[in-house]
Amino acid sequence: MTLGRFLVRRLLLVVPLLVFIAFLNFMLVRISGQDPTALIAGPTATGGELAMVRAELGLDRPLHEQFLVYIGNILTWNLGQSWVNKRSVLNDIWLRLPITLELLFWGVGLGALIGIPVGLRAARHHDGRFDQLARFLSLLGFSTPTYWLGLVMILVFFYFLNWAPPAMGRISLLMTAPPVVTGSYLLDGLIAQKWDVVQSAFAQLVLPVTAMAIVAAAPIIKQARAIALDVQGSEFVRSAQAAGLSGAVIRRMVAKNSATPVITFVGTELTALIGTASVIEYIFSWGGLGQWGLQAIIQADFMVVQGYVLTLALFSVLVFLVIDVAVFLLEPRAEMHA
Amino acid sequence: MTAVSLPDIAAAPRFSLWNRLKGLSHRSATAVIGGIIVAIFGLLSIVAPWIVPYDPILPFTDKLLAPPSAEHWFGTDGNGMDVFSRVIYATRYAFGIAIPAVLLSLAIGVPIGLWTGYRGGWADEVTLRFSDALRVFPLIILSLAVVAAAGQSLINVVLVIGILDAPVFVRVVRAEVLQLRNSTFVEAAVATGNPVRRILFVHLMLNATKGAMAQVAVRAAWAVRITATLAFFGVGIEVPTPEWGSMIRQGAEFMATGQWWVGIFPGIALIVMVLGLNMLGDGLQDLLDPRRRASAR
Repeated sequence: MTLGRFLVRRLLLVVPLLVFIAFLNFMLVRISGQDPTALIAGPTATGGELAMVRAELGLDRPLHEQFLVYIGNILTWNLGQSWVNKRSVLNDIWLRLPITLELLFWGVGLGALIGIPVGLRAARHHDGRFDQLARFLSLLGFSTPTYWLGLVMILVFFYFLNWAPPAMGRISLLMTAPPVVTGSYLLDGLIAQKWDVVQSAFAQLVLPVTAMAIVAAAPIIKQARAIALDVQGSEFVRSAQAAGLSGAVIRRMVAKNSATPVITFVGTELTALIGTASVIEYIFSWGGLGQWGLQAIIQADFMVVQGYVLTLALFSVLVFLVIDVAVFLLEPRAEMHA
Repeated sequence: MTAVSLPDIAAAPRFSLWNRLKGLSHRSATAVIGGIIVAIFGLLSIVAPWIVPYDPILPFTDKLLAPPSAEHWFGTDGNGMDVFSRVIYATRYAFGIAIPAVLLSLAIGVPIGLWTGYRGGWADEVTLRFSDALRVFPLIILSLAVVAAAGQSLINVVLVIGILDAPVFVRVVRAEVLQLRNSTFVEAAVATGNPVRRILFVHLMLNATKGAMAQVAVRAAWAVRITATLAFFGVGIEVPTPEWGSMIRQGAEFMATGQWWVGIFPGIALIVMVLGLNMLGDGLQDLLDPRRRASAR
């Protein structure tokens, strides 16, 4: 199969998936039983005005028609406006997505940088002391709630040690933000060559990124170790060992053959971790997509919740797509994932 | 002709729970330690009303945010409630939600896994696509959004966790059934005229649910975690409830001002409980899954 044909078939599979995502999202508001009419029309609205708003929102039509309207809205980039502050949902998503991606990028990057070598080393010394320690730490990471970890870091590094700045967003409150280019204060500060901004943005990043990295590293250690063990035990490594190849060569073989399952795993994990990033954002008042969405969940602002859940789902769809292409290029005989 | 020497029965170790545990701990220390932790928490949840020093929702209005002392081991919270009593009492919510939630997941996941694995065809395809499609949502966020939409109640928390987690059991059971579908004992059962229902729920269920059983503790750990997460965001569980997540929610307010005991103690209890369940689950998976054991050799 050529890459072109693979892409076409893979993209066709995405269509029913997107319909399913839209349906679930649509149902979210339905089961909430919340009627936004009163919220939007305001407290002084008369019966006639309420009816008008209802008609405008399409709430007077049967359910299946409402769903079609919702699909139509999504396709025309109309995600509605917040029930609470009337801001455009799509606008807020564009504004906040890069903020979340920055946290995710550094956090997962650092997590992988710690997790992969630790996992591989644990596999090499299977059942040894290092392996046991790594397994325990990974389980501990799995068992620690993200929000609690964040709070403890604030307690220790802000309150007790006073090393970290207060957890109030992405830059010191006393500083003006650099002109927006990428949406990341760190990069924008570098571009504008404002070193105090860069320094402040970096200081704000340290705690949330570390929390993110710890949470991300736990499954990465576990999986890297399992995959390496699997490859280590396979026939070709045993024959390479029997043939007397050096440790370095075998290590390279193991790493190479672990690549495909590792990439696949990273995809599934990124989906979970963007959820984790939301929780960390909430704790550190990060102001990205996650804090915005979680606040909307708490305030029952379901128009925003819809946009938020939709964005997260689309992010995963995209990640899985990229991964399938990567796996296809690495290993053309691999089957397609949905 | 000399007499065949029989093994000395009297000298063989007598069967006892202790010996059994010792044997198990050689094969998987992780499982045994995890099991002991879970058992202790289970015991605490049963005897909680008799051992806690104070009523968990009794406010001492003259002692708001008192630090840990001999009177209040873990201090008091913002309402003046005794944190120690609340931490102990919360084990009831942890088990009270995790057990029915996991049972619900099993009740949904196992039959579907058995049926789709055995029958294959379109039902299998649809189920598989459905559970794959669910995977594009981060489970934490989806649970939060659905419980928030469905309304604040403990029943909804159990329903949402139970339903959203069912695909895990579908996948494990289905995979096992696929391996067993063409084995001799199934063939024999079919040949002797057993109805499909009996093949599924007697023959296959007894043989294809090992993996699912090993998953139970891991899923319970997940259920405890997600319950606390929901409560932390004030979704599903109301505030003065003695529940770990809900207590951490209150503790969050006081973290940057130094009243650490409100949020730290419930967090530690939560971690130890989840860690115990995860260790139990991890160990059970090693013991029950021969493939995992083989690859770990």
